[in-house]
Amino acid sequence: MPVKLNSTGGGSVTLTTPSTATDYTATFPANTGNVVTTGSSAVVTPAMLSTGAPSWDGSSNLSFNSGYGSVANAYGCRAWVNFNGDGTIAIRGSAGVASLTDNGTGQYTINLSFTMPDSNYAVVGSAGSTNNAIGDRQLSTYPVNTTSCKVVSGQTASTNVYDATQVHVAIFR
Amino acid sequence: MNQRIIYPTDEGGVAVIVPAPECGLTIEEIAAKDVPQGKPYKIVDVAAIPTDRLFRGAWTYVEDE
Repeated sequence: MPVKLNSTGGGSVTLTTPSTATDYTATFPANTGNVVTTGSSAVVTPAMLSTGAPSWDGSSNLSFNSGYGSVANAYGCRAWVNFNGDGTIAIRGSAGVASLTDNGTGQYTINLSFTMPDSNYAVVGSAGSTNNAIGDRQLSTYPVNTTSCKVVSGQTASTNVYDATQVHVAIFR
Repeated sequence: MNQRIIYPTDEGGVAVIVPAPECGLTIEEIAAKDVPQGKPYKIVDVAAIPTDRLFRGAWTYVEDE
């Protein structure tokens, strides 16, 4: 039985669970738009989509191919920050970050705006003292707990801490 | 956000919290979340924080100012 949606706006059609366990095909028009599923058990799997299309499994893990050669779970950047760690300490840009603590020369704490499931996440970053100097700063990073991590900026040629004007940090898990 | 949160460190210095722009939290909410439990703190204007960091290790937290 064909169903026609309002051509001037959005619309929805609710498909009820068939009485017989078998696959049913829903054909959508080629117009631009998104298919949205609702409900706690709504799942879109690769088998439901064209080969290699992005999909979510029952645990909300996103997987895609996107040129990697196989479909696999994607692990996104959970938070990132670009800040000036010298002079007037200031955050230039960030996401997933609530604040930055200046603990002293070259020592900063990144306070997340959410709670990680554990403290075993990876913190990666880089530091520089000017916009075009190469190799003049190195950055040590480590998770403190589920809501913050520390980064320490030092000079490449010594073991002393130094402020850095360009500090870039990303957090993955 | 042109405000900062300062609190004394265990080593006798001072820590300065810089709120992230567009994080969606107020300065008070950030203080409640990111200042270590039990530490006194103050919310100050960014202009109150020295920009010369040559003696950053000598900065101290003064309770009464």
